[in-house]
Amino acid sequence: MCDHCMRHGTGGKWYLNAGHYANEVAEKYDLREFLLEQYKNFEQISVRRVGGFSPVGMDYTLRVPIIGRIVKALAERMLHSRKPPTNPFRAEGHIGQVVPLEDAEEILQRCAAEPIIEKNCMCRYMSRGVKEACCINFGVMSEIIDKLPRFVPEKEKYHLTREEAIARFQEHNRKGYIGTIWFGPFPYINNLCSCENPECAGIRPRLDFGIKSIYKAEYLLELSESLCRGCGECVARCSFGALRMDKTLGRPAVDHDRCYGCGVCRHACSTGALFLVPRDHFPAFAGKY
Amino acid sequence: MRRTRIAIDYGLCGDGVGVDPRGCCLCLRACDPAVFLLHETLGAREEDPLDPQAWRVTALWPSLCTRCGKCVSACPCGAITVTPDGAGNRE
Repeated sequence: MCDHCMRHGTGGKWYLNAGHYANEVAEKYDLREFLLEQYKNFEQISVRRVGGFSPVGMDYTLRVPIIGRIVKALAERMLHSRKPPTNPFRAEGHIGQVVPLEDAEEILQRCAAEPIIEKNCMCRYMSRGVKEACCINFGVMSEIIDKLPRFVPEKEKYHLTREEAIARFQEHNRKGYIGTIWFGPFPYINNLCSCENPECAGIRPRLDFGIKSIYKAEYLLELSESLCRGCGECVARCSFGALRMDKTLGRPAVDHDRCYGCGVCRHACSTGALFLVPRDHFPAFAGKY
Repeated sequence: MRRTRIAIDYGLCGDGVGVDPRGCCLCLRACDPAVFLLHETLGAREEDPLDPQAWRVTALWPSLCTRCGKCVSACPCGAITVTPDGAGNRE
């Protein structure tokens, strides 16, 4: 189990600890006001100066020896912070983990605080100017988004029952969108996203710059050689480059170092040859999030 | 290797002055590595802070720019300049 699970999972996964979703947590840390300030002009967060430094062009700084490492460490320290947040214009305590469909369904069924909404994804709006209603929020967050017209979908249903939320999430997952669950900020969980790289502001810093903005899932992919017929449909589904069609073997090979355990490749398999196993079934990757 | 500089002329696009980038987004869509970001203009005086109307595009990740020039061609008001252009590879 990852570090968050050990400290906050009460013996299980941190994101399945229903206590983290309760409105009481949001109230304890005055998060209604904090989150409204943060999400009012959310898109600006990526370009605002932090401590005098502008993030624009910071990607070059990350490549500079020594200083780059320091900047990366500072960014990760901010993202992984467990202290009550102080500045709504910084992504403090905003850390998440990839979750496969089954864990997301359990979150929506058992943990998410109502009201549950599905809003337009902010990341896709920022990165592509596209409004897509695929971001599920719960609890206090729902009240905040109510006030921000650009995130309320025009066509799709906005307030969802648990069953409707599960059905929508299944649709996104089948499309190949990666399920992710987020503290925002720590220790409050209010965001179950369906992400894509590089559109997602949570995933792209890790994949493009090695900043640990998201944890890999508690699972890894397994492929059954007996069930696999070598069609290769799953290979295109992987956003992480973890599947490679090996022509010598006549089946895909899994790169477990690249696999994030999102499980969306499974939807492309017509023979049921792909399945997820707990990460610690692979001793080399146990604890490597 | 020289750093890529991507400049956007905010007199032509954004900030509630030129073209509203929210209605265009062509550079955002043309760029495969998603170098650009659409965001509210910092410090803009907004009548309705919950529904900001002054937006602009910033080239947030210039190190990922491949200098393909697609954004320059895509922009209907010619607001984007990429230097150095074309020559020189991304590492």
